[in-house]
Amino acid sequence: MLTEELQNSARTLGEALRASPSMQTYLQAQANCAADLEAADLENHLLALYQELVGRQQRGEALQRSEIDAYNTLKSQVHHTPLIQERDAALRLVKQTFTDIADDLNFPLGTEFAALVQTGNM
Amino acid sequence: MDIQLNPIPVTAAVKADPRQAAQALGRLLRQTPEYEAFLKELNVVNNHPAVQKISTQMRSHQNALRWSPKNASEHETALTRLETELETMPVIQDYRLAEEAVCRMFAEVDTIISQAAGVPFATNAKRSGCGCGG
Repeated sequence: MLTEELQNSARTLGEALRASPSMQTYLQAQANCAADLEAADLENHLLALYQELVGRQQRGEALQRSEIDAYNTLKSQVHHTPLIQERDAALRLVKQTFTDIADDLNFPLGTEFAALVQTGNM
Repeated sequence: MDIQLNPIPVTAAVKADPRQAAQALGRLLRQTPEYEAFLKELNVVNNHPAVQKISTQMRSHQNALRWSPKNASEHETALTRLETELETMPVIQDYRLAEEAVCRMFAEVDTIISQAAGVPFATNAKRSGCGCGG
């Protein structure tokens, strides 16, 4: 059980990250994406197709070349959608911000916080 | 990544400097009994002669596998035996328990950061490809 001081400190960091320019840009880009029905449909379609193909492969079924080509075409279409490109570019900046901020968190610890979180989730 | 929250205006209440907030959190985590115990066990492991001996042997087999794959199965068998030997040592088991406690605590902290930030923190902040401390 975390102490109240630790919980507050973690919350303060999260709120500061949320208020950072890169996060605000990302959240806006994400909201724009979600509000665009065409972009949202494309992404949902890609995810559903991916899950279907992976599921069939895991059941030992060999996929047709045409099915893989259709998936790659859809994936390319999704990645070339301007709103999705903007959101993904914004997310890359968020990751850079988070990585930089994590260095400040890691310094007093002498280890990588994120790596230990991942170790705990494995 | 599932973002359910909408952008929020930046208010004075959330204008803490993220670098300072991260440093403050790092200092607090460093002072917890769980992290102190983890560092203590890590120090014990790093200075334990038997652990050092086994680690050296393991590195030797790993290098052999990397640079001359001849007799690979012999090296793999030796590595498995040494890993088992290492993991059953009481000093390593104590270290693993301390590591687990820290990992659990960090995961709880990460959940709070991520919920407040609006995106998963650790997942997006990871720099290296490997864990630490073992």
